[in-house]
Amino acid sequence: MKNLTLTALALAIVVPSAPTWASDMPEDTSGRKDALTVWGVQFEELEYRYSDDDEELGVWNGDAFYGTDDLKFRWLGKGEYAIEEQAYEQLENQLLVQTPISDFFDAKAGVRIDTPEGPDRTYAVLGVAGLAPYWFEVDASLYVSDEGDTSAEFDAEYELLLTNHLILTAGLDATVAFSEDREIGLGKGLSSTETGLRLSYDLIDRTFSPYIGVVHERKYGDTADFAKAEGGGTEDWFAVIGARVGF
Amino acid sequence: MKKVLWAGALGLLMPVIAAAGEYNITVDRVMIDTGDFVKEGIGYNGASPGPVLRFKEGETAKINVTNNLDEATSIHWHGLILPFEQDGVPGISFPGIPAGETFTYEFPVVQSGTYWFHSHSGFQEPNGAYGAIVIEPEGREPFRYNREYVIQLTDKHPHDANRIMRNLKKMPDYYNRKQQTVGDFFSDMSNHGFMTTLQDRLAWGDMRMMKADVEDVQGFTGLINGKGPDQNWTGLFEPGERIRLRFINSSAMAYFDIRIPGLEMTVVQADGNNVQPVTVDEFRIGVAETYDVIVRPKTAEAYTIFAESMGRSGYARATLAPEEGMEGAVPDLREAPLLTMADMGGMHGMDHGSMDMSDSSDMSDMDHSSMESMDHSAMEMEDSEQPGSDMESMDNSGMAGMDHSSMIMPEGGASDPFYAEGSGLVPVAANGGKFLSYADLRAQKPLYEEREPTREIELRLTGNMERYTWSINGVKYEDAEPLKLQYGERVRFKFVNETMMTHPMHLHGMWSILDVGAGQWNPVKHTVSVQPGTTVYMETEVDAPGQWAFHCHLSYHAASGMFRKVVVEGGPDQGNTVGIKAEQDGGDA
Amino acid sequence: MNASKLIVMAAAMSVTGTAFAAGSHGGGHGGGVGEPGKAADASRTIQVEMHDNYYEPEAIDVTRGETVRFVIENRGNLVHEFNIGTPEMHDAHQDEMKMMVEHGVIEGGKLHHDMMNMDMGNGHSMKHDDPNSVLVEPGDTKEIVWTFSSKTTMEFACNIPGHYQSGMYGDVNFESAADTQASAH
Repeated sequence: MKNLTLTALALAIVVPSAPTWASDMPEDTSGRKDALTVWGVQFEELEYRYSDDDEELGVWNGDAFYGTDDLKFRWLGKGEYAIEEQAYEQLENQLLVQTPISDFFDAKAGVRIDTPEGPDRTYAVLGVAGLAPYWFEVDASLYVSDEGDTSAEFDAEYELLLTNHLILTAGLDATVAFSEDREIGLGKGLSSTETGLRLSYDLIDRTFSPYIGVVHERKYGDTADFAKAEGGGTEDWFAVIGARVGF
Repeated sequence: MKKVLWAGALGLLMPVIAAAGEYNITVDRVMIDTGDFVKEGIGYNGASPGPVLRFKEGETAKINVTNNLDEATSIHWHGLILPFEQDGVPGISFPGIPAGETFTYEFPVVQSGTYWFHSHSGFQEPNGAYGAIVIEPEGREPFRYNREYVIQLTDKHPHDANRIMRNLKKMPDYYNRKQQTVGDFFSDMSNHGFMTTLQDRLAWGDMRMMKADVEDVQGFTGLINGKGPDQNWTGLFEPGERIRLRFINSSAMAYFDIRIPGLEMTVVQADGNNVQPVTVDEFRIGVAETYDVIVRPKTAEAYTIFAESMGRSGYARATLAPEEGMEGAVPDLREAPLLTMADMGGMHGMDHGSMDMSDSSDMSDMDHSSMESMDHSAMEMEDSEQPGSDMESMDNSGMAGMDHSSMIMPEGGASDPFYAEGSGLVPVAANGGKFLSYADLRAQKPLYEEREPTREIELRLTGNMERYTWSINGVKYEDAEPLKLQYGERVRFKFVNETMMTHPMHLHGMWSILDVGAGQWNPVKHTVSVQPGTTVYMETEVDAPGQWAFHCHLSYHAASGMFRKVVVEGGPDQGNTVGIKAEQDGGDA
Repeated sequence: MNASKLIVMAAAMSVTGTAFAAGSHGGGHGGGVGEPGKAADASRTIQVEMHDNYYEPEAIDVTRGETVRFVIENRGNLVHEFNIGTPEMHDAHQDEMKMMVEHGVIEGGKLHHDMMNMDMGNGHSMKHDDPNSVLVEPGDTKEIVWTFSSKTTMEFACNIPGHYQSGMYGDVNFESAADTQASAH
């Protein structure tokens, strides 16, 4: 092993003309110096639901994003398609920008466009999403509709690992309205909850995870009354079968 | 004819060193067959790993690299001391090698030992673009062996590296299949009781950290010299021979614990530099490190080289045997390690976040106390770190103040000064014997004269596991200014690992003299592993002008921000020789 | 070196007393490797250089019954041993040397003579005074006179931990081919 001086000498002999002025050095214009750009598409729920009063639904809850650590563009889409009626009970798309506000939470803002069977609505959206202590995935959004009505939605999810592939996921989604929007059947106060319990198995990496589960939907207060007035139910139990898909 | 003779004669008369070490290398798309799966990747001269490049100290290396890919490439000569333009990092040393072009590297070979080379472009390296370098010394080796083999390890994954990066960004635990389950809860409960187990889970849940977060990327097949466990790479020997094994860890992410049941291994070199021989039963090789060991099988039987990944999610296996086809027993993987609160010791930033977020549940008292005491101990740790302190400061004795009572801690109490006190990662030899520690490494012959460092630079290794962002001092490479060093100084780097992962830090172009508390006998390395919750010091003689890369060698950590450009200002060409140290003759008296 | 450390060391030494008994004490019970000779009987002198970590030369030729004076010079930066014995004797002696390193008697380039003279009890010490072996500090020269009275597979070796394993040994070849048994390497 050579010592230092010999090394330096050898280098000097071979590259006598090497410019070593810092100002002449190349700037790093390689991709490494750019922010890492990532995309992803996931359907947390992509399922068939069969209710205790024989209603059949096709349901999805999807999410796609593109962006960097600092700024992501995100699409969120939810839908419930009544198979017999061939009608969308729910059809909701959100286009959002998202940025970190703490180690574990992001803020998001954008628009939500609802185009189900019946009247359409457009909302401005402001929300936070992230990971709360004890591993709860939470998502809270505030909506202001083009009719001037405000509402909020809170979503929480917890995964229990029965094994590293067999996972029990509990989810709760609650909607609270701060003002009534009679036209779309939304009453003031806590309007509805959806509680789900799904047992999934990661069949192909985390790309394809089929599951079975139960979902409980309930309407409250004025919202329940509006539903009853229109001849609908206020509470449903569903058996679900589907798959979580991500790529 | 006469012309040729003349040319020959002129060549002999030329006062330059003959370019004996000349190689032509093509960069190609190749198929990699691990035995478990076949995957397209990138290789050299039609294969992954590429060829073993052999040089002799003192000659000039000349390597013509032809890029047959449809994208730019580069080759970095890992651990070699050379002019920075030859170092092969696109954007820092040179512009890279465009598709279809040939670039000629040419540099003097000023060292000897075991090294390796790999692409420094995108994710070509984890996709297979790596090979080995063996440099024969000018004089004799300070040890003897009858034959030698390169044992080059990697963690070949069925997913393309870009996809792995994307999956980790989407979901940091995408590949982690060693997470704690309900079953683990019940088994812990029967061992430690319900309350302790619950409190343990709550404490970790409060931090939103996983004990099982030891290996980010699982699901790989460990390869040795390109062969999977079933393909069983085999090296032949005759009983009684001394065999030099040149271990190189070319993995993207995996650390390996290596043993050869039935043989003890005498470590004689680390990262290309000879160390005072130390005989061990097992050693851990960090990503990008090399260790040369000498083994001496005395009987005519097959010996298994068994390399378990640190997180026990995979292994590589090869065989030393008197003849082809013989096989030794292949051990089972041992139980996966779990991190402990001690490994979290360095996480300062965390506490605030979780304080803010904790929606005072009835458990909040407990959370608070545990977080506060953690903070406190982390502070003690800093206070105890005097400049120039030795090993004593490294063992994080301050951590004792932490409240472990509610945590499940590992039993046994193996310790290593380069792991946090009470760390769950401390390796233990499978046969109960000697496991190599950094603390055992001593330079065989000091490369530099010992002197006081001219200044200290603190580099906190930082990150956010949930976002899979990795950084230095909280700043990702994309946002960072270069680290400026002055030619001729001796810098003492203080690495403070504030993350829960191990980071193999690699400084290009200059040696990393690891402080093991042995003064002038401190080992000289090119890659220094910093374990979670620890502080590690290394010193660097800033003797190489130009600009260099300095980064965590875990592929996906480097790509997501744990990377710096180092600019060495001044140097011989600027007439700035202030502080150049006197030459030292470290040779035999 | 404080008192408590001494006690710890003494305890350690007595616990591992068996290792010592099994050591390669060439003196009276050399196991057929020969015995110490008188300088006056030496037919010749062999110069051996110690380096880090190898000998020059790495093989010597002797004839049965020959008495040789070895002049051993340490040209390295580390302490080394010159020990004449069979591979098995070296193997057994390595535990003893390991202990000397672990207790700081041998520390890189230094040999702490004061510690070597300590009585460890049970007749053990770390004197390292066996006639078939010398420890040489960097820059020092020492001598051994040895009579190779019987032929067997023999090596001269440094049993400081790691040194023998990494190749710091030399072969003792008995000159008459018919006299020589298979060597160990």
